[in-house]
Amino acid sequence: MAQETAHLHKTYHRSKTVTVMFLCLFVFAVLMGRLVYLMVFQSEYYTMRAKELHERERSIKAARGRIIDANGKILADNRTVCTISVIHSQITDQEEVIAVLCKELGLSEEYVRKRVEKYSSIEKIKSNVDKSIGDAIRAYDLDGVKVDEDYKRYYPYDSLGSKVLGFTGGDNQGIIGLEVIYEEYLQGEAGTILTVTDAKGVEVAEEGEERVEPVEGQDLYVSLDMNIQSYATQLAMQTMETKEADSVSILVMNPQNGEILAMVNVPEFNLNDPYTLPDTVESDALSEEKKQELLNGMWRNGCINDTYEPGSTFKIITAAAGLESGAVKPTDTFNCPGYIMVEDRRIRCHKVGGHGAEDFVQGTMNSCNPVFITVGLRIGVERYYSYFKQFGLLDKTGIDLPGEAGTIMHNVENIGPVELATISFGQSFQITPIQLAVTASSIVNGGRRVTPHFGVKVADSDGSNSHVFSYPVRDNVVSPETSETMRYILEQVVAEGSGKNGAVEGYRVGGKTATSQTLPRGSGKYIASFLGFAPADNPQILAVAIINHPQGTYYGGQIAAPVVRQLFENILPYLEKMDYNRT
Amino acid sequence: MAERNSSRRRQSNNENFMDYSLLFIVLFLLGFGMIMVYSTSSYEANLEWGDSAYYLKKQLFATILGLAAMIFVANVPYHFWERFAVIGYIVSVVLILLIIPFGHESHGAKRWLYIGPLSLQPAEVAKLCMILFLASMICTMGKQIRNRKGFWMVLMVPMPIALMLWRITQNLSSAIIVVGIAVLMLFVSCPDYKRFVLLGLAALAGAAVVVFVIVKMAENQVDTLDFRGARILAWLDPEAYASGKGFQTIQALYAIGSGGVLGKGLGQSMQKLGFLPEAQNDMIFSIICEELGLFGGFAVIIMFILLIWRFMVIANNAPDLFGALLVVGVLGHIAIQVILNIAVVTNTIPNTGISLPFISYGGSSVMFLLIEIGLVLSVARGIRLKDL
Repeated sequence: MAQETAHLHKTYHRSKTVTVMFLCLFVFAVLMGRLVYLMVFQSEYYTMRAKELHERERSIKAARGRIIDANGKILADNRTVCTISVIHSQITDQEEVIAVLCKELGLSEEYVRKRVEKYSSIEKIKSNVDKSIGDAIRAYDLDGVKVDEDYKRYYPYDSLGSKVLGFTGGDNQGIIGLEVIYEEYLQGEAGTILTVTDAKGVEVAEEGEERVEPVEGQDLYVSLDMNIQSYATQLAMQTMETKEADSVSILVMNPQNGEILAMVNVPEFNLNDPYTLPDTVESDALSEEKKQELLNGMWRNGCINDTYEPGSTFKIITAAAGLESGAVKPTDTFNCPGYIMVEDRRIRCHKVGGHGAEDFVQGTMNSCNPVFITVGLRIGVERYYSYFKQFGLLDKTGIDLPGEAGTIMHNVENIGPVELATISFGQSFQITPIQLAVTASSIVNGGRRVTPHFGVKVADSDGSNSHVFSYPVRDNVVSPETSETMRYILEQVVAEGSGKNGAVEGYRVGGKTATSQTLPRGSGKYIASFLGFAPADNPQILAVAIINHPQGTYYGGQIAAPVVRQLFENILPYLEKMDYNRT
Repeated sequence: MAERNSSRRRQSNNENFMDYSLLFIVLFLLGFGMIMVYSTSSYEANLEWGDSAYYLKKQLFATILGLAAMIFVANVPYHFWERFAVIGYIVSVVLILLIIPFGHESHGAKRWLYIGPLSLQPAEVAKLCMILFLASMICTMGKQIRNRKGFWMVLMVPMPIALMLWRITQNLSSAIIVVGIAVLMLFVSCPDYKRFVLLGLAALAGAAVVVFVIVKMAENQVDTLDFRGARILAWLDPEAYASGKGFQTIQALYAIGSGGVLGKGLGQSMQKLGFLPEAQNDMIFSIICEELGLFGGFAVIIMFILLIWRFMVIANNAPDLFGALLVVGVLGHIAIQVILNIAVVTNTIPNTGISLPFISYGGSSVMFLLIEIGLVLSVARGIRLKDL
């Protein structure tokens, strides 16, 4: 009986144990299904997420392309600098590390010890260390000391062409100037080092590292000529000091193809230290905003970013328009009583007594306002405006520098006879110096409006893979005949007229002076300028000198023309020797 | 009954049964566990203790001790232990209570007692004693278990222990296991299914209500949620709680998912390098999956299925009900623990600290598991070969 019960008992608990077994099997099957879901279908996602977690990415800076001048001189280069840091957990001989770092870096023991003993993942000891010192430290082969190489932009000529070249920021990116415009060629491509690390960020050595090499930036070859630039800078500095001017700009370009050989805006700034304001400014007391404003002012390229009233140099444009439209012939005669009435306004000539009877060529040589007002009025508003447009004065020149300012001009419907009269001798509107230089270039070069530029080509550091830039040229801005006449007239201005201070012995120079009063009128502030080109019969070089707010004599013919003369005296023989006159 | 002359039978007829399959499976799991403990812990052990085999050595020591205990228990007729059933229950209660004044805290929970150099988890003792006590009690009750009173009595017996484990040692998973063992043993010893189906459905409904309430509370920004509430939210969307309650789960999922079908190879886990903290403990299964892939994961599960199959065979051929119930208890313990562990690691259920039997690092756990195996082997030795 007992046996019987036990047996019965056993039978159902046996079947129940089997049930338990199958219940377990069922649950295990569900869990295995879950595993298949996670490890097959979700595997890609989790692998990706895990990889993100395990890998640390360090970027390797690419060497930025150099900037090289017309003679192959390097204007912007890279210097290899090192950053020295220590990783506490990897240091084996702490005392030696401290001793070596003190010795090689010339730091106090206290300073180094504090950092070496600090419990952190990585502690920077010193950055911008010379490569030779970095190499020396590396040679000790100390555990836990890391020497990372880095590139730093370096400008061998400090302030030379500072506002043209521009400089780079912390990430080696261009901030102003050519460095910005040619960023895509110069910057190269940063490389990366992918390392696998544990949860604390310690590299897992066995996993090795994946390295994507950086691609060096391409070198930029510019038309800027370091010799001309540095001489022009000297001249400008000298002029600024002797005339006690606020600033002086000198622009030298090839009128045939638009290549700019020099662009000086003194005061320049030190490209290797672009964030320091000049000593004359008390920078400590300034707010951040004010300081940035002053820095922006210091970095401004006056030839491009600022507009001014060109004054008499603009008579070149009026003359060209007059000749082109047939409104005036060189032989036309005028009479200057010292003023001219336009409607009810009496506009004075700079010569109070008047120039008397003169033909158009003489009128230009005298820079006689009544003559040009008369010519302007003969052309008429509609035609004058269309020439203004045809010469390209309403558009930007398209120079390869950032922030070119546009022309500030009346709307055509607002131009009455008085406005037209003032425009005719270069007042009541504003253009940039580069705009004046380019427009004058197209008038004297046979009527081809060129695009001013610095960039000639880019190429890899070994010279391969070069890409030569081409720039648009617009033909027939003026007829070749008008251009020839203009060259003749402007040569006369320098030979015997108001621009005679610009004459260079042994060379045929053409040009035009200007003296413009800055707004507001009556402030006693002037801008003296001179535009000259040589040789006058086939211009290969064109220069503009602009002196802002000189003290004492302020006539362009007296202070600006000599600047261009001195410049030409030095660079014309140089250019011949260099066989620079590429046409 | 069969027990009355088991020793005499062994003397007269040397055909008693030794379950080598079970022994082999257990030894395999122990060996494999040791390899995985070394693999998962060596990197951190080296960083922390300067000895990559630090955890392996401790585990090896506990395993050897456990194996000795297993051999001893296997050679003692299991009815010898029946007389300790009540004492065992009392000892469990006392040990758990001793946690309050003498408990050793680790990982924010007081769960360990230190006896000289040895650490002991009362929860492990309680599981073993519960199996013994219930087996003895059910045998004594006989047919009484079939009526409602008997049913509820058996169900109420583990409750004080479970509540103490939960409230005193903050160890909900051990409490669940103790209750689970009891329910399973009751299930096997009762002839009907209906009550258990109802019980199961009630448990499921209860869990669903709890989850629903917590989600609703979270939606209404009620911040009286305790850490278990947060665990449930982290379970539903671990990535949203990646820096808090979901951290361990997320890291385990990264490990499992990145293993793929074939795994990264033994020793090649990345997640064990500090990303998954203490990978050798509860989350060891995720590193097995990362290193050995889906195949490794399946192999481990299949080994446990084989182990459960052996338990079932032994239980169903046990010489008497007491033996059978002991084996069912052990089966329940190991099955529940494996299922819960893998379910937690794969984020199938909310995270609760539970180790993988024989494989996870942990001395107490391995020692008491081996004692349980010793009991099962002892039951197996009572089987006459001709019964098979």
